[in-house]
Amino acid sequence: MVTQTKLTKTNDLGLFEIRLESIGGLGANLAGKMLAEAGVINLGLNGSNFSSYGSEKKGSPVKAFIRFADPETNMRAASPIEEPHVVGVFHEALFKTQNCISGLQADGILLVNTTKTPDEIRELSGLKTGTIVCVDALEIAVQEKTRVNTAMLGALCRVVDFLDPEAVKAMIRETFEKKYPALVESNLRTFDRGYTELNITTYEAQPGDEAQPFVRPLPMLGYETQPMGGLILNPGNSILKDLSSSRQGFLPSFNRDACIHCAACDQVCPDYCFVWSPEEDKKGRTHQFLQGIDYQYCKGCLKCVQACPTDALSTLRETEGYTDENGVKHRFNIA
Amino acid sequence: MALQEKDLKNANQEVQPETEQTIDFRSGNEMAARAAAQINYHVMGYFPITPSTEIAEYLDEMKVEGEHDILLIPADGEHGSAGICYGAATGGGRVFNATSANGFLYMLEQLPVQSGTRFPMVLNLVTRSISGPLDIRGDHSDLYYGLNIGWPILMAKDPQAVYDMNIMALRVAEHKDVRLPVVVASDGFFTSHQKRRVQYFSSRETVQKFVGETPEGYVTSLDPKNPVTIGPYMNDPDYINNKYQQSIAMYNAEQVFKDVAEEYAAISGRKYEILDLYQMEDAEVAVFLLNSASDTAKDVADKLRKQGIKAGVIAPNMIRPFPKQAIQEALKNVKVVLVGERADSYGGHGANLTHEIKAALQEIKADTLVLSRIYGLGGKDFYADDAEAFFQLCIDAKDGKAVALFNYYGHTPGKAEVAPKRVLKPLSKEQTSGFVTVTQEENGELKVKIPPLRVLTGKEKRIAPGHGACPGCGIFPGIETFLKGIEGDVVVLFQTGCAMVVTTGYPYSSHKVTYIHNLFQNGAATLSGVVEMFFERKRRGEIEIGEDITFVMITGDGGMDIGMGPAIGAALRNHKMIILEYDNEGYMNTGAQLSYSTPLGHMTATSNVGTKQGGKPFHHKDTAQIMAATNIPYVFTGTEAFPQDLIKKAAKAQWYAKNDGMAYGKILISCPLNWKAADEAGNTIVANAVNTCFFPLYEVERGVTTITHDPEEKGKRVPVGEWLKLMGKTKHLLRPEYAESLKAFEDEVERRWRRLKAKHESPYL
Repeated sequence: MVTQTKLTKTNDLGLFEIRLESIGGLGANLAGKMLAEAGVINLGLNGSNFSSYGSEKKGSPVKAFIRFADPETNMRAASPIEEPHVVGVFHEALFKTQNCISGLQADGILLVNTTKTPDEIRELSGLKTGTIVCVDALEIAVQEKTRVNTAMLGALCRVVDFLDPEAVKAMIRETFEKKYPALVESNLRTFDRGYTELNITTYEAQPGDEAQPFVRPLPMLGYETQPMGGLILNPGNSILKDLSSSRQGFLPSFNRDACIHCAACDQVCPDYCFVWSPEEDKKGRTHQFLQGIDYQYCKGCLKCVQACPTDALSTLRETEGYTDENGVKHRFNIA
Repeated sequence: MALQEKDLKNANQEVQPETEQTIDFRSGNEMAARAAAQINYHVMGYFPITPSTEIAEYLDEMKVEGEHDILLIPADGEHGSAGICYGAATGGGRVFNATSANGFLYMLEQLPVQSGTRFPMVLNLVTRSISGPLDIRGDHSDLYYGLNIGWPILMAKDPQAVYDMNIMALRVAEHKDVRLPVVVASDGFFTSHQKRRVQYFSSRETVQKFVGETPEGYVTSLDPKNPVTIGPYMNDPDYINNKYQQSIAMYNAEQVFKDVAEEYAAISGRKYEILDLYQMEDAEVAVFLLNSASDTAKDVADKLRKQGIKAGVIAPNMIRPFPKQAIQEALKNVKVVLVGERADSYGGHGANLTHEIKAALQEIKADTLVLSRIYGLGGKDFYADDAEAFFQLCIDAKDGKAVALFNYYGHTPGKAEVAPKRVLKPLSKEQTSGFVTVTQEENGELKVKIPPLRVLTGKEKRIAPGHGACPGCGIFPGIETFLKGIEGDVVVLFQTGCAMVVTTGYPYSSHKVTYIHNLFQNGAATLSGVVEMFFERKRRGEIEIGEDITFVMITGDGGMDIGMGPAIGAALRNHKMIILEYDNEGYMNTGAQLSYSTPLGHMTATSNVGTKQGGKPFHHKDTAQIMAATNIPYVFTGTEAFPQDLIKKAAKAQWYAKNDGMAYGKILISCPLNWKAADEAGNTIVANAVNTCFFPLYEVERGVTTITHDPEEKGKRVPVGEWLKLMGKTKHLLRPEYAESLKAFEDEVERRWRRLKAKHESPYL
């Protein structure tokens, strides 16, 4: 199927731009690829698509970029999208660590995978004007045994006028048929549910309202402050990082009453999240006791739940505020 | 070509008129692979390196579907891949390769050999920054090392050009007036990983016809009836004459390219001039940029033209030979040109192309002012406002304002208030000592005492949380379990790989102890230098006698392939250090290509599973036995699934590294992402790998082999399938059509296990 679509809205260079904010593993890269491919191959547009990351990792923030233009427009820009018409946020926790709405047009669209309402997302993101679209893509994906990406595509097709859902569905079918034929139908269902199960609110832009300010991030250090030779003189400073956005909805929960302090969890943990300290046992002898989990570093792999010989560790669907109430922070030897 | 063309599938199955083209949406790397597949090269020798690796991956994917039958040879490093390609090129067939950055530098010494002895091939250089510090993103610092190797260099600014240039490059390389290997350079990530709307010939025959048969009449190493000597010992006064021939051939490449481009335009509708000139007819200010950045500048030139500024853009499609005349012609009436370069020639007051352009203009005594800016190093993005800033510099200079002739652009000073401050106190000896003891009995045997894991939670970890590994990564429990057995001060060296990348993303580091990174292949040599400096400075009284450091090198992700030579060298010298290899059965940091430790039949990005191939075609490397053959005092294997076993072995390794010499250990660790396994399943998977006897736990202590966990004796041995079924990369092996592969793999596991048992039973084996 090839139809000729015309864009209704573009920037100075004739481009319509979409930025997807995600973490590795949620399929934003693939979503961007299928979307752009659908636009170019099935809708006859010009287009480009790329992602921000280089090294192959799950759990780290990534951005996927999609540009569309009318077929006769040159596609020249190779740099990341700074002032998009649409931002798709695949993981709500990213609002904590990334400036997700950076540069979003005043009448832009913010699509979020969330259980929250548009009003709540507006509050969380600080977006003033534009259309906020909320879809519980994770719940759909869990039910359909797929990933959030096709649900997000469904929602996107609902709110971006020139995106013909049938063209995108055809591309989903084509993409999955090659390598994972068993996943075609479930992904198409996921797409349809994303298309229908959403919550849209438009906060009208008034004349004179400006786009979200775009902030091009500067490196933390510069040529006057970077130690010579690229040395890192304060190693161990990765403890300052917050990796909670690497979790994809699940975490281990700790029940101390069932814990026998065997350290099997600690030994298999890739992220060194278990917090121990010496305590006296009933006989007055000092032993190491597990205090809990520092969720700042937990990526939700759940190896510890597998390793635990008792019921002390179990899998929990993460809810807002859980880690603040139930986590235990590492007590580092701060300089 | 003499290959079985009829057996190969067209990418597009329908029969097409000869020059019909298919519109598609593809990246630069995909288009390089598409061109290579349609040409159907005889041989590609390759080695994974970001961002060029995908070319081999796509070719492997296409091969399993029967779209070409190029022989893909996974080399042991880029030096090896260049060697394979050179050898293959002497054999008279068509040869292809792709590399980037330090991979290009690692093969560098081979490249002038190939041009000097005049064997054509095509190398895709997907440009990337040169280490160090290690940076995987795209600039031209690798390309600039290629300016003097004697290979014509074609520039491909977008995915379409990658395809077109690849097809033309072969014609240039094989032309009778050239006969040189050719580089096609495209921008790493900006072009290699960016998908664009592209066209390619629907029928591979169109490409076949354009490139023609491999030209006859040139010597090859494979014609016994016509014996030749390739690569003689040639001193003065002969060498200069060889180089003069080569120099002439290089200059010939310019006209040959023009002719080939003309012919290509006739069938493709896409014309490539020597210089891509945009709005240059009457330009007063211009920017000269290589590849992708030049396109961004064109948008800006359009904008400036609307404001009445006569702005233009020059982008060369060829930089070797340097298109001197075309550049003189294009720039003679320009008032100011800014040459933006994504690489520096440190200390040269401008990088190479700046000076070549200046020299060209000087010859014709042009009044054009040449400004030079180093920009975009390390893959720093080039936005429209950057191009605008370049034009503004030209306008300022034209208007008589003072503008520096040469400078960097886009560097930032930083703010004093965020200058780095120490976050953690350095570990004290006490925090990492007193947990494990090793004593030597009178008979020389080592006795190791380790406490329960619970007690060991009180031992400070040398790696801090906050690293960026994937969820469920096996590297970190593996390394930490090992380090629980190591007491006191440690200096670590990590070769390039996942563990290195995810623990040191600037400006963060997860290493609480001193850490060094050196290139993928050279860790063992580097750490041996550190070790010897430690003892030498101790001997000279510059380091206190009581000071005691254990030196540990960490490698993985195929580091023992490319680094095998230096590791064996360090082992034969028997330095007092430990090499710990985390074996994740592939090059995982570059996206899961096969390494020599990938077992038979396992699926990776370069050993795909399809109708024509069922995963990796050859057996896994037994690195532990190779290292044992160097007769170092201690070799061991371990996994996180048997922690007490691994901790004991670590303690022994430390004892040997302090008292005797080198210890080497290999730990099998899970890679959930690329093994296509559940994040939480890592421990179970590696435990099963041990219990199938695929990965036996043993040690070789002063030449004597001891199996430390015998699943047979314990009645715990499980069939190989019990392990393979846990991973997506191996599930196919359990299907009936792969029964033969599975049997071959099981037999090899059994053979190696029996041999190990025999060694265990005899102290002489």
